[in-house]
Amino acid sequence: MSESVNVDERPLVQRAIAVLWPSFLVAGVATVLLFTWVDPAELSQCLDGMPAVTRMEAYSVGFFILWLFAATASALTCYFGRPPSR
Amino acid sequence: MSEHKPSAGDNDQAFYEKRAKVYPREVHGIFAHLRLLGVVVLLGIFYGAPWLTWGGRQAIWFDLPGRKFHILAWTFWPQDFFLLALLLIIAALSLFFFTALAGRLWCGYACPQTVWTEVFLWIEQRLEGDRARQMKLDKGPWTSRKLAIKGTKHTIWVLFSLFTGITFVGYFTPIVELMPRFFTLQTGGWENFWILFYGFATWGNAGFMREQVCIYMCPYARFQSAMFDKDTLVISYDPARGEPRGSRKRGVDPREKGLGDCIDCTLCVQVCPTGIDIRDGLQYQCIGCAACVDVCDEVMDKMEYPRGLVRYTTENAMEGKPAHVLRPRVILYGLLLLVLFAALAVGIGIRNPVGIDVIRDRNVLYRELPDGRVENVYILKLLNKADSVRDYRVEIRGLPGAELVIDRTMPVAVPAGGVVEIPARVRIDPALLDMPTAEVIFEARVEGLPDEGNERRGRFVGRMQ
Ligand code: SF4
Ligand code: SF4
Repeated sequence: MSESVNVDERPLVQRAIAVLWPSFLVAGVATVLLFTWVDPAELSQCLDGMPAVTRMEAYSVGFFILWLFAATASALTCYFGRPPSR
Repeated sequence: MSEHKPSAGDNDQAFYEKRAKVYPREVHGIFAHLRLLGVVVLLGIFYGAPWLTWGGRQAIWFDLPGRKFHILAWTFWPQDFFLLALLLIIAALSLFFFTALAGRLWCGYACPQTVWTEVFLWIEQRLEGDRARQMKLDKGPWTSRKLAIKGTKHTIWVLFSLFTGITFVGYFTPIVELMPRFFTLQTGGWENFWILFYGFATWGNAGFMREQVCIYMCPYARFQSAMFDKDTLVISYDPARGEPRGSRKRGVDPREKGLGDCIDCTLCVQVCPTGIDIRDGLQYQCIGCAACVDVCDEVMDKMEYPRGLVRYTTENAMEGKPAHVLRPRVILYGLLLLVLFAALAVGIGIRNPVGIDVIRDRNVLYRELPDGRVENVYILKLLNKADSVRDYRVEIRGLPGAELVIDRTMPVAVPAGGVVEIPARVRIDPALLDMPTAEVIFEARVEGLPDEGNERRGRFVGRMQ
């Protein structure tokens, strides 16, 4: 099935979702783990130059940063998964 | 599960553009009733739960800014994370357990994807009519009638999604305040963002993506077959009884015509929300919704054949082998679940209601006092996870000769499920330190309850003489 399909032959939407969706899941889990251990309010107390943000802002921004990282990894996997064009 | 080539080949390719829209036909029958029950109960819980109150606050409230989860009488803190982890493991294992027993029960009756899709389908069918009418409407030109119908449908869908989004955010922000604020446009940026995000996801998943979520995006759908064995309850067509299929008049003896019981009416295909033909065998696209069972039973009743040409059964039963409900796999999952449940109960039971956190003031490493002693400054966070107010008293130990100075009268009253931050200073004569840094233990005790208390280590930074 989809395993045998060449990555490049799949339509763009499908590839986009293959990158964004798994990274969304992973970012969600990572956000929960990260902010269970780290309290952003404490973090901004401890670090110099860290802007004062509310916890909600920190959680949301943290989530998107993690999503970006995870999506980058997914995208690279997709990219290297292509057969080399020589 | 064997990977049969699905008959609806068009459903197999591509997101959105190439796929043929599946128009599931409405079904009635015992499993449709069960599914409806599932929808009503689960959505009732989802939309109703945030409105319940408990002791003056929202009964189920995930207070992210406050870093605490309120669930009925309990309040959970980040320190209780392992309980949450345990709960998630239990949820996952329950899924394994039920999958091994009865296949994709979750998908067919309880998955939010299924539940919300049911609601969206229901709205669609009320407005656009049955399957045949929907297809005709979609094929037809954009008349004003079509525009009106589609417009109404999307308006209702969007409003419903929006309401769903608000309810979702209502689990994180008290919903009694959130609702009026939203309708008077006073919600904050992030609240709006998450309302729209969740609303959009509901609208997209239940209105458009539907079975594609199950087929392409759901991780569970991909690995559930690993939990299957030959004794797992699955929905299947009985080819020995049904084949050769073919149409016939009512009252004609199929055996005379050399036919099986399947009249090839294709109703089972028409009702299938994932657009597959159950007669091709078990397929991973099948979400186990039993719509095909209901509709085929109806057909069998009409033909006056016995019911159950398509039914819940096991692979072993199909082959005439004895069925085993209690298999090693089921027993193992069951035992593990019991152990985890016990651990969770114990974990909640022995949870220390007293919490203390120690945060060093990072701005000053240490301070030298005129009397020659060094001082470190801390913020102590006193947590009370019990459901009544308690008086806390703080002491230090582990650093002989050190003095704890707190500019507040002791004891400190900490409200139920609340946290009180107090600045604290520890002073010591540096001659008493044999290392540049030392460890000091802060201890919080509850007044009048000598057994209740908790402690936390802090670091003391000094200058050696
Ligand atoms: S509904 Fe029953 S009789 Fe009709 S095609 Fe399906 S299996 Fe055959
Ligand atoms: S094959 Fe039957 S049980 Fe499976 S998804 Fe389709 S209608 Fe539901």
